[in-house]
Amino acid sequence: MVNSSVRTDLPRAPGLARSPWTWLLGVLVLLGLVAWVYELGHGLAATGMRDVVSWGMYIFTFAYLVGLSAGGLIVASSSEVFHIEALRPLARLGVLTAAVFSAAAGLMIIPDLGQPIRVLNLFIFPNWTSPLVWDVTIITIYFLFSVLELWVMVRRPEKKKTLTTLAFIGLPLAVLLHSITAIIFGLQMSRPWWNTALMAPIFVASAILSGTALIVLIAWILQRYNNLRIPAATWRWLAGLMVMALFVDLFFVASDYVTIAWDNIPKDRQVLDLILPGGPYQLTFWFEWVLGGVIPFVILASSKLRAKASNLALAAALILMGVYAFRIELVIPAFVNPLIQLPPGTSLGAVSTSGSFQLVGHYSPTWVEYLITVGLFALTALAIAIGYRRLHLGRTIQEAAEHVAD
Amino acid sequence: MSAGIKLSPIPTLPPPVDPSQEDITIVMRRDLRRALAKPIEQRHWGMVIDLQRCTGCQGCTIACINENKLPPGVVYRPVLENVSGTFPNVSKQFLPRPCMQCEDPPCVPVCPVAATYKRPDGIVAIDYDVCIGCRYCITACPYSARTFDWGEFYGDAVCGAPTAYEEVPSLEYGKVWMREPGTSPIGNTRKCQFCLERLDHGELPACTETCFGRATYFGDLNDPEALVNRVRQDRQMMQLKSDLGTNPSVFYLL
Repeated sequence: MVNSSVRTDLPRAPGLARSPWTWLLGVLVLLGLVAWVYELGHGLAATGMRDVVSWGMYIFTFAYLVGLSAGGLIVASSSEVFHIEALRPLARLGVLTAAVFSAAAGLMIIPDLGQPIRVLNLFIFPNWTSPLVWDVTIITIYFLFSVLELWVMVRRPEKKKTLTTLAFIGLPLAVLLHSITAIIFGLQMSRPWWNTALMAPIFVASAILSGTALIVLIAWILQRYNNLRIPAATWRWLAGLMVMALFVDLFFVASDYVTIAWDNIPKDRQVLDLILPGGPYQLTFWFEWVLGGVIPFVILASSKLRAKASNLALAAALILMGVYAFRIELVIPAFVNPLIQLPPGTSLGAVSTSGSFQLVGHYSPTWVEYLITVGLFALTALAIAIGYRRLHLGRTIQEAAEHVAD
Repeated sequence: MSAGIKLSPIPTLPPPVDPSQEDITIVMRRDLRRALAKPIEQRHWGMVIDLQRCTGCQGCTIACINENKLPPGVVYRPVLENVSGTFPNVSKQFLPRPCMQCEDPPCVPVCPVAATYKRPDGIVAIDYDVCIGCRYCITACPYSARTFDWGEFYGDAVCGAPTAYEEVPSLEYGKVWMREPGTSPIGNTRKCQFCLERLDHGELPACTETCFGRATYFGDLNDPEALVNRVRQDRQMMQLKSDLGTNPSVFYLL
């Protein structure tokens, strides 16, 4: 426990159990569970996935959750490794989000499996040549590491040396986590759109981007509704981190676009055409480049706009949507064009009104997928709220904030 | 081109490969028995498909569905079609596409639980009892030769329950597989395995046996005397996407 005197000037947030938000989140979690039970009964036929588009909402949400978890630890470790005092107040919050979101990413995989009961096979019969096994391993290590670091931070805050060591391990671990998740996609020679050496750099940049945006959003909610005072210097650092990550992320993505557009190799070009303006998946482009790209970039680059915390929160929310759009853009369009494009196309694994073959893949998630995904997001929000209160993060954020010069 | 050569307007089919009176399925079954007498690691099952003899009847697709008791839309061996030219100078080519049983299969190393593996005889198999249904192998296959069993039944749309003929078990990998919700092979990846259970009994894969154009040859690629090797001697050949380095065990005669 923190050994300082209990401060009385801090307002006490209402009990979690009495907050209507808790109940709303609880209901969403419950609905997600109901949908999952339904899926267990009906198998993956209950989802919108079929053979042409054989990965869907669960997988792009999984990649998104991994990114959010990597960002938290990067923010937390940076304060220690690069001696950024202004980020120190948010270190514990960062590690908490890292732990919660890495656990959520692991959970997201389970409803995606055709044989969920055999999920433990991943640990009993791991095949070490599979990037998926590397990812399961690094997510497990990352989760355990985050829990350990959080425990030391909260229970043994006097062990400065240990904390520094942990921060130095945490930073490369976070980079590794996202590189390996990228490699699941990037090492597939048969898949245009995924098979690029830029995949890992893009994933790391987008992880720093979305992870920081998440911390900004949580910090803003705490400041706005929980009367927590976050120093201006902290906001400045977070804004700087976001704008840098945003620039690097979009730069990498643009490099990929330019290569594909110039080479004009049909198998690559037809995927790009799906997402560029005018294509059937253009919505992801507008979300990624305008709503979650140009607009937050202007907010963060303008010294006048970024001075207000609420503007930062707006930019963060837009960025979070933009990165989610990027995950969708990464996974779904890669499946739309079958790998051998001769009629009648690729078999669906199902009979639809248009026959059992498709030359152009279609995917729209079912209510089961929506409910399970929303339920899992609700669960992470609940877990962060509970962790925030049980670990008394509000008090420690406030205490650390007093050491930060504006 | 010299004036002395007369060009035929209609391409003629090449002469039958085996000029003896025996049907090629009999020759190939003899090849098969000879190969089975060898230790498993000395055989390499392969398929040769003569695109000039394929009539696009899809008999192989039906035979395969029948043999493996495939559910709706799960197809191990579709016959792809390609139309070229414009009327009246138009032609249609057919391309039966079984699993390529690659020498270096991209689907095998990505499996997180080693449920899919290459057998010593070159066939890429799936252990239905280990597969967790993550579908990573489906994304890795360059030929879309892997399909997922999503758990649908023909009867679902008709009577809300599996029809009687869907309750006949599949005998893949020499075991008895009843398709019931929640149990394998539902929720597993499924693929062509050259009808392993038939090979073990000295019989040809269902597609080869059925092919009435006699366009599909099957046998041990390691046996120089096998029809599957003799038939390739004087012909132009291709493997699908050979630039990927997967080295398929399925060859197409052009």
